Amino acid sequence: MLHMPVDVIATFNVQGKIKPNFIRLEDEYHVLQTYKIENIIFSREEKYAGIPVILFCCSIMRDGCMQVIQIKYHVRTHQWVLVSD
Amino acid sequence: MDNLIFHIDVNSAFLSWEAVYRLHIRGEKTDLRDIPSAVGGDIKKRHGIILARSTPAKKYGVRTGDTINDALKLCPNLVLVDPHYDLYESCSEAFMEILREFSPCVEPYSVDEAFCDMTGTVGLYGSAVVAATFMKDKIYNELGFTVNVGISTNKILAKMASDLKKPNLVHTLFPDEIEKMWRLPVGDLFFVGPATRRKLHALGIHTIGELANTDLDILRSHFKKHGEVIYSFANGIDVSVVEEEAPPNKGYGNSTTIPFDVDDGSTAKMVLLSLAEKVCTRLRTDAAMATVVAVSIVDTYFRHASHQMQLFSPSNITNEIYRAASRLFDELWDGSPIRQLGVHTSKIIRGDSSKQINIFDMNRYEKLSKLDVAVDTIRERYGEDSVKRAIFLDGPIYHMSGGISPEKRKAKYREGIGNL
Repeated sequence: MLHMPVDVIATFNVQGKIKPNFIRLEDEYHVLQTYKIENIIFSREEKYAGIPVILFCCSIMRDGCMQVIQIKYHVRTHQWVLVSD
Repeated sequence: MDNLIFHIDVNSAFLSWEAVYRLHIRGEKTDLRDIPSAVGGDIKKRHGIILARSTPAKKYGVRTGDTINDALKLCPNLVLVDPHYDLYESCSEAFMEILREFSPCVEPYSVDEAFCDMTGTVGLYGSAVVAATFMKDKIYNELGFTVNVGISTNKILAKMASDLKKPNLVHTLFPDEIEKMWRLPVGDLFFVGPATRRKLHALGIHTIGELANTDLDILRSHFKKHGEVIYSFANGIDVSVVEEEAPPNKGYGNSTTIPFDVDDGSTAKMVLLSLAEKVCTRLRTDAAMATVVAVSIVDTYFRHASHQMQLFSPSNITNEIYRAASRLFDELWDGSPIRQLGVHTSKIIRGDSSKQINIFDMNRYEKLSKLDVAVDTIRERYGEDSVKRAIFLDGPIYHMSGGISPEKRKAKYREGIGNL
């Protein structure tokens, strides 16, 4: 599994802080499902290979189950990516 | 106070950078650095050489510059990846940025190595080895690739030190430790290429130490000025300083290996035109004009030939340079199939120098220079391919040959995140 681009709804506050609110993922039946991001556990800026990204470790509620996921925001291309583990 | 110079060199740069990109950005699980792998050109386009290889590939005897076919014979399970120049630029920039955090005086020596003047930083970072280790680890933690740092009191010794043992190490090579370098084969010395090495071997000089203790007059008589250079390098003497700003280009040139053999003059001239387009665009970007134009040809038998001429007046106009290149080509070419063509310019004049107008020019100069400015502006705004000469439409030749072609800038991945 590779990191996959995903759709995200995020808010950008006046200080320039980014907060992802919703994420849209495909379920087992290839149907797009929107999940609310319940909580951001931590975020960190990375610059591997000189490419600036912001990593968010957050939890979503999926089938009544809390799941921890990591998503990355690519600062240059404005893409959101779901980190595969 | 003694000078303190660092030389920082990225370990198998192109390959490490691709490995980091695949691991952290694309999310692949295998680290290219842990398996026999290499960055190579495109065999079909005859750009088939190894540009960088991993440490496991090195164990199979794969060397940088080998043809891909030779490399595959040495190591059949070699994983080959395409070049990805946009990534290299981004990595190189981030690398230099970190170095500039350590010292205001950083000289980018190439895309993957730099000199850093660390004189007087003892109070900031502690001893040289501590500072270098900190630098090396910071680069690894933040950017994900390993570097070698060489420490000494001048550039040549620092450079030789960073080459000692790889990867991910710090070495010192202060003048009192020069024996470390003297044990090495003479071919390892900076500025000693294969030709010089052969000549030195013929003189019975096999190690750097033997070179350092050879009588300078002997070297002078065999190598002229170059003999003095390698003699002082072998003795660890180098007076050059770390220069932040790159000296201005002394010449501008581009060459290209054509994917097929060219045996007719008109196709060759199209290639020359596309090269002239590239060279002149670069000249105009730097507000420079060239006085001397040279053309070089490599034929299918790998025979090199070149020819040059002086222009009537300095120029950076594509049509003028092209016309000169065509004339040179006609005089030079013996009709054998061509593999590679190059257009090079030198005797550069910078800034607003007055142009000697040719009375027989029929005012074409002014029109052409305005045309070039217009074309440059359009290309800058809308991309290199937004405007091109009609002769290149649907042809096999890219309209601006030479340098890094667009397909080498981006890597092609089947799925996942691909571009930066």
